[in-house]
Amino acid sequence: MSCANVIKKERTSVINPLVTCQPMGAMYAVTGIRRGLPLVHGAQGCSTFVRYAFARHFREPSEIAVTSLHEDAAVFGGRRNLISGIGNLAMRFKPSLIGAISTCSSEIIGDDMDGFIKVAKKEMKERMGEEEAEKVKIVPISTPSFVETHFKGYDNAIKALVDNLARDPGESNDKVNIIPGIVSPGDIREIKHILALMGIEGLFLTDISDPFDSPLRPSATEMKPFYPKGGTTVEEICDTSNSLGTISLCGYAGSGAVSLEKKYDVPAAVGPIPIGVQNTDQFLRNLKKFTGLEIPDAILDERGLLIDSMADIASRYLFGRKVAVFGDPAISSGIARFVSELGMIPSVVCTGVESPEFVEEMKKVAKESDEPVDVLIRSDLRDLETHLQENPVDLMIGHSDGRLFAKSLDIPLIRVGFPVYDRVGYHRVPVVGYNGGVNLMDRITNTVFEKCYDDNEYWKLQQ
Amino acid sequence: MPYKLFEVDKEIPDREKHVYVKDSADPVEHIPKCNTTTIPGCMTERGCSFAGIRGVIGGAIKDVVHIVHAPVGCTTNSSGSKRYPTSPDLPNGDKVPVENFNLKYCMGTDLKESDVVFGGMKKLRQSILEAAKEFPFVGAIYTYATCTTGLIGDDMDAVAKQLSEELGKDVVAFNVPGFSGPTQSKGHHEGNITFFNRLVGTKEPPETTPYDVNLIGEYNIDGDNWILEPYLKEIGINILSRFTGDSSHDEICWMHRAKLSLVRCQRSANYIADLIEEKYGIPYIKVDFFGPKYCAENLMAVAKYFGLEENAKKLIERKMKEIQPELDFYKEKLQGKKVWMFSGGPKNWHFPEPLKEELGMETVAVSTMFEHEDGYEKIKARVGEETVIIDDPNSLEFEEILEVYKPDIILSGVKEKYKAHKFGVPGILIHSYENGPYIGFEGFLNLARDIYAAIYSPVWNMIEFEEELEESEEEVIE
Repeated sequence: MSCANVIKKERTSVINPLVTCQPMGAMYAVTGIRRGLPLVHGAQGCSTFVRYAFARHFREPSEIAVTSLHEDAAVFGGRRNLISGIGNLAMRFKPSLIGAISTCSSEIIGDDMDGFIKVAKKEMKERMGEEEAEKVKIVPISTPSFVETHFKGYDNAIKALVDNLARDPGESNDKVNIIPGIVSPGDIREIKHILALMGIEGLFLTDISDPFDSPLRPSATEMKPFYPKGGTTVEEICDTSNSLGTISLCGYAGSGAVSLEKKYDVPAAVGPIPIGVQNTDQFLRNLKKFTGLEIPDAILDERGLLIDSMADIASRYLFGRKVAVFGDPAISSGIARFVSELGMIPSVVCTGVESPEFVEEMKKVAKESDEPVDVLIRSDLRDLETHLQENPVDLMIGHSDGRLFAKSLDIPLIRVGFPVYDRVGYHRVPVVGYNGGVNLMDRITNTVFEKCYDDNEYWKLQQ
Repeated sequence: MPYKLFEVDKEIPDREKHVYVKDSADPVEHIPKCNTTTIPGCMTERGCSFAGIRGVIGGAIKDVVHIVHAPVGCTTNSSGSKRYPTSPDLPNGDKVPVENFNLKYCMGTDLKESDVVFGGMKKLRQSILEAAKEFPFVGAIYTYATCTTGLIGDDMDAVAKQLSEELGKDVVAFNVPGFSGPTQSKGHHEGNITFFNRLVGTKEPPETTPYDVNLIGEYNIDGDNWILEPYLKEIGINILSRFTGDSSHDEICWMHRAKLSLVRCQRSANYIADLIEEKYGIPYIKVDFFGPKYCAENLMAVAKYFGLEENAKKLIERKMKEIQPELDFYKEKLQGKKVWMFSGGPKNWHFPEPLKEELGMETVAVSTMFEHEDGYEKIKARVGEETVIIDDPNSLEFEEILEVYKPDIILSGVKEKYKAHKFGVPGILIHSYENGPYIGFEGFLNLARDIYAAIYSPVWNMIEFEEELEESEEEVIE
């Protein structure tokens, strides 16, 4: 019987979380802006921990400023820290945008970020002159750490960007807005590749692909200060109200899309993430709906290549094997659906958030795969570990934080998502789109070879 | 002028006092201004004081559940960020049943909005009970305050005290919210005091010898401890307590029974050595095992205290013989290369001399994240003339230092390493190490090899695309 058994964590505490707090998602989003700088209004750890996490996942620098809140701010408020922080950052870095990101501390002490930013702007004009000061946009992003998770922080950031910057609509720009969610540079590049084949210009909200995977070319670096290549320009964000539609790849990142739809009649499509065959099909149908363009043969050929490789491999090596999927709710649900398309059984899917949409999607997967799926929501890796001790699987698919559990349970782990720090290059290799499907399926299959054939039945791999 | 204002700092002139260029003619008190808060709006490499206690000191202890009392982020972020492996062995002969337990599990109270409004003590209590149930084998449960706990005013000590009695097992609260103090150093300091007040003197070791020492301020980064311990053992010295690399909870409780304390990290752990000396009359010596010369000198000093000089001498001679040929090779290759040394604190005065003496390398810039006056005095004493010493450098200064001082390599953390690469400068990790351990004789070879591999990696010769090759280069290729 196929059904989704929803299981919630029984513990109050969290042991090995699958999520982090809101500000990190906002820092991720702001990094995707050309000359955009996140300014975290909190203690130094709030920026340092995240910079560390980004650096070890992407092996790239991550430039995040902080207002350095200390005891005095805890008592008297962080007004001075935020105002002078904005001023110093604007004067020294000449950014196009500062995303002022709140934290638990600044939310608890009740700092009036909007009010402080007004004063900061005034001071900037005095320090830099009106013209220079006007060039620096400042967007307040509210991300209380004790509410929801980094996915919400990402969503809040994108919504804050369009709400503050999108201008009254004029002529259509014939573009499609894409809100990628917390995906990899490789994923964004794959989406760009699909759009290019379709003949569509995309407008990414926001685009971390180059900033978090940028070339080492010292002499080509633009004048100091160092800003990585690429990213979405502020002008583009202002222009999002003129687009044909907005597609949010990840279900949790739809607020900005909905806001553009409500305010400016830019139609929105939120999720599902284009991982696997049917989800990617849906993405293409959305593109077709917004632009009226036909799906070109080149894309259908790519689809055909994925289908071809599935036909060659899936039933022989993958069919009926049990998989545990964990991590990001959007990526996990996409992968769960894809592995069931491969004939595998996504017998447990685990995520750190509580999301009705996620449960709905898992019900669909359970129905399609005609197998029961245990859905662990608002959960953590310890729960997954104990679940897997009772209900073993053949493979785990998720990020590096699951590596020690995978090792002790002796289940191979296929690394996908964020963070992946104990393998290299996975941020460059897409999992979205038909090409991403081929990559992911190859990775899964090769892991099955190593686990199930290499030691004892290696002769079976000769054809 | 001993102080220097970087070009990029003209908007924040206060930074001038934090940058000092060494001139031996200057008065001793000329050092960078330090241990003050970072200017808002800077990209600092500093962490918070919570990182200091949870990340550096507490988290290294192997048979303890570490509970972060915070919204989820502080729990997620504080796990897996330090490389201090542990052995399963406990002093009483038992074993921790989970390999690298302290690295594998991280726990938090997952504070939500309602906890912020109504207080988080109930949740803390519940979480500690859950920890005891989930991991019944642990020796103790530690809980760590964060910004949120500090602001909502939870009385963690009260919960810890009550549950220590209920569970019959030490529950310790570390009250160092992230916003307290200017740097992570505040976390080290407060952590030392908590460990001392709460634990030292509360248990007795299973056995003692006349050669017992506390090894303090050694966190077993990448296995440093596992190089040091065999040295001491061979000399005839017994490590009674480690603070805190590869340590068990009980060892901290009987630190008062050692005959001598050795202080390795003299930034993060002087405090507890002082307190132990004051209350229990156990003297301490500051030791430095980085680089063969310091390592030899300090092993001799420790051995001398116990009258074991002959053993130390033998060990040192043997080790030097083992490493000398390889060391000579690296010296030939690295002679004259310029270094920018960027660590948290003490490594900045540990390394310039060994790098110069053993490898012929010149330290052109030194910068730290959380050093205090005493540390800067030592740095100043050990670096050459005109070396620039920078307290808490920010991102723009980073670029200017690379441009002005043109180091051949930066020894730093992971965030700085990848940025240096973008400017065509190799970097290696000095906080958590590249392929460590880096301590002791063979450890110094690891460091030399990593520096050599970074500088001599062929990639740095290929950064620019050459339209046409020089004739001589073509010949080489042919």
